[in-house]
Amino acid sequence: MADSGKDKFKYTLLKGIDFSGFTVFDPVVRLIFGEDPKKQLSDIGRYMVTPVIFIIGCIIIWSVMAPRHKTKSGEVPGPDRVLASYQNNKRFHERENEKQSDFNTDGAEREATLAEVQEQIITYTALAEEKAKAAALAAVEVQDTIDAKILPLQTKLDSIKEKSKEAQKLRRENISTLAEGVAANTAESSALITAIAEDKALKEKERESTKDLKTQIDEIRANPPKRLKEAQLASNKVADELQHLKKRVDFLTTGNRSEKVSSSLEAAKEATAAIPLASTGPEVLKSAKAAVRNTESAERAKEQKYPRAATVFWQAYRSIFTVIVGFLMACAVAIPVGMMCGLNRVFMACMTPIISIFRPVSPVVWLLIFQIIIGAFFPNPDEHPLFKFFNASWNPLEFLQVNPAMVFSAFTVAICAMWPALVNTALGVSSVDKDHMNVAKVLRLGFWSRLFKIIIPSSLPLMFAGLRISLGVGWMVLIAAEALSSSDGLGKFVWDEYQNGSSLSFANIILACFIVGTIGFFLDRIMIVLQKIVTFDDGSATV
Amino acid sequence: MYPLPNHEPSSKFVEFSNLQKAYPNPYGEDFVAVENFNLNIKQGEFIGLIGHSGCGKSTVLTMLAGLNAISGGGIIVDNKEIDEPGPDRAVVFQSPCLMPWFNTYQNVMVGVKNVYPHASKKERHDIVMYALEVCGLQDSIKKHPHEMSGGQQQRVGIARAIALKPKVLLLDEPFGRLDSLTRMDLQDTILQILNKEKITTMIVTHDVDEAVFLCDRVAMMTNGPRATLGEILEVGFERPRNRKDIMNDPMFYRYIDHLVSYLMDRAHLREPAKTYDKNSLLSFTKKPGDKATHVA
Repeated sequence: MADSGKDKFKYTLLKGIDFSGFTVFDPVVRLIFGEDPKKQLSDIGRYMVTPVIFIIGCIIIWSVMAPRHKTKSGEVPGPDRVLASYQNNKRFHERENEKQSDFNTDGAEREATLAEVQEQIITYTALAEEKAKAAALAAVEVQDTIDAKILPLQTKLDSIKEKSKEAQKLRRENISTLAEGVAANTAESSALITAIAEDKALKEKERESTKDLKTQIDEIRANPPKRLKEAQLASNKVADELQHLKKRVDFLTTGNRSEKVSSSLEAAKEATAAIPLASTGPEVLKSAKAAVRNTESAERAKEQKYPRAATVFWQAYRSIFTVIVGFLMACAVAIPVGMMCGLNRVFMACMTPIISIFRPVSPVVWLLIFQIIIGAFFPNPDEHPLFKFFNASWNPLEFLQVNPAMVFSAFTVAICAMWPALVNTALGVSSVDKDHMNVAKVLRLGFWSRLFKIIIPSSLPLMFAGLRISLGVGWMVLIAAEALSSSDGLGKFVWDEYQNGSSLSFANIILACFIVGTIGFFLDRIMIVLQKIVTFDDGSATV
Repeated sequence: MYPLPNHEPSSKFVEFSNLQKAYPNPYGEDFVAVENFNLNIKQGEFIGLIGHSGCGKSTVLTMLAGLNAISGGGIIVDNKEIDEPGPDRAVVFQSPCLMPWFNTYQNVMVGVKNVYPHASKKERHDIVMYALEVCGLQDSIKKHPHEMSGGQQQRVGIARAIALKPKVLLLDEPFGRLDSLTRMDLQDTILQILNKEKITTMIVTHDVDEAVFLCDRVAMMTNGPRATLGEILEVGFERPRNRKDIMNDPMFYRYIDHLVSYLMDRAHLREPAKTYDKNSLLSFTKKPGDKATHVA
């Protein structure tokens, strides 16, 4: 029965799920293949539906609680705001892609795109006018309703103000007559003092009574009906899109690379043609200089790249690349050193103080140290072969724009992530099963075959457990390092958002928090799978 | 007996003389596990070492393997004193000790590669395949240890030892962790291999049936500490041996009786080592606690 193709496929699928650690989906697969539906449904209910309900509950609590907490950078964003922030960032990323491709196109393709964009501009202009009108109309309407709401309050306020003004005037007169009376010894000075104190207290009371009304009016003004806000938002959105389209037109015409090159070449040609027509020496010189200048600028334009703005996705790619580079550096040091520690007790004794002292050092300190040291290595980064290599136009990683800041972030990651891998490798190598070592002794295996056939394979599971911790540490360190050093990446994104303090930044920070978490989760998953591949005992090595 | 090699087998192929194992004790006198252990093993002989747990029988075997340092006395194998482990004394451990990252073939090949460095690839392959075949592993060549039962794994352990063509084969409670049916299977396999290969073999075991069935001589050890050789029992069954015949032979039970009575009654005594053959076996009354009497 187990040999039928369907069953075989099922078991392969189940093994794959088990292997990747997503055992939650196990009952779903079994249910699809019709295996004991009652049990599978109960499992799904228990281990999938319940957690989903729990998470939905959390999100509901979040969306209810968030708007109640006002901070100086606006209220705490709820899930809707974060989702909107994701969509904004996605749109921003897409627009950058569009502009970049516009900048790079040439020939017939450019013209076709241009025609398309101009068509869109016409429709969007009409739409924008319509929306703007709607918004203006809404504003007028809303103004009426607001005015209608405010009017009774305002009249009430005015009347109170009027009354208190009169009362104040009366009291002032009373006080001044009293003061004169005291001067003329016809009145008690204590009566005057009481009157002044009374006046003050009354003033305070009058202010209190108007305050309430004033805040009510302010609130009505500050919170116009929703439809106005919606109309304004819609209008802004269209206007925004229209502006983007206009910018695209720029990049398809005057700002386009091929256009820039051809216009410069054209100017150079004209200037060259003008040389024989000129009659005076200075005129000839001017034309010739213009020819040279325009040819040069054409050359420069050819090399030009689109100056991309840093989107959150680009920052995420950069962070992933940096953490991988740092992690590989950590492996390159930690694995050989860890092995030597495990193999040789003297070497271990030498390394122990170094490990114990440097392991607890904060990433921030390492970051500053590397910033100084590595900064000194690259006085002129644009000319350095390393960056020339990474930023050459043929390199697929060119879009990451590798720079010294990235290098020292990677070094910081490497040195902080190194320790767990090192310690675990040493432990794995030194704790090889004694039976296996006995076998090696009986077979009289030499050092290298002992190392490669017995020690390394049997220490791999522990080694990978260490590497997994290392990668997790590295990812956490990297985000902090980027925030501190303004090295491009998710950390810098968060820091920039914190600094610029626009109404969207808080939501952007929370979005970044989710992105960081998700990437961290997948990095960890990858390491778990790798760890399972190298662990032999439970039979998973043969999947 | 089976036909002998062309030269007369040495009666002192393996020689233990005044073997001692002492563990240093930082707070007093050394702890002596084994002392005054004297035993000679003939070439091609199958000898068993039996005794109570912790009496040091495994210690003697691991010292012979070279895995355990010798504190006093010495062991000579084929006229050479041993000082380190080597493939001329192959060991089958209690746990199969296979490398989980290698399959059956690779597990056997690791040792072969090292012991026959000058052999051609084909020769090595043939050696491995022969060892696997005599252990009945033709169908499990590509399997990894975790895909096999404990008995199969132990077969690989035996194949790995056999493939080295050792002078002495050391079996350290090789079937201790197996169920009794599998154990019988493997005992038969070992006997078949030894019928062909005539390797001098030493087995350490708790199991008296096993010792009598497999061995030419069974060496009994006194209780530890300061354990030493107590008695030697010569088992007179002819080779090749057949389980059914031996089980039906009344002598089988007399040998077992002798071994059990030694372990129950005399293992704590310190008397000079005596040798018994089938004519000088001690006979016992069934009442426990009775003093053993010698019937010639």
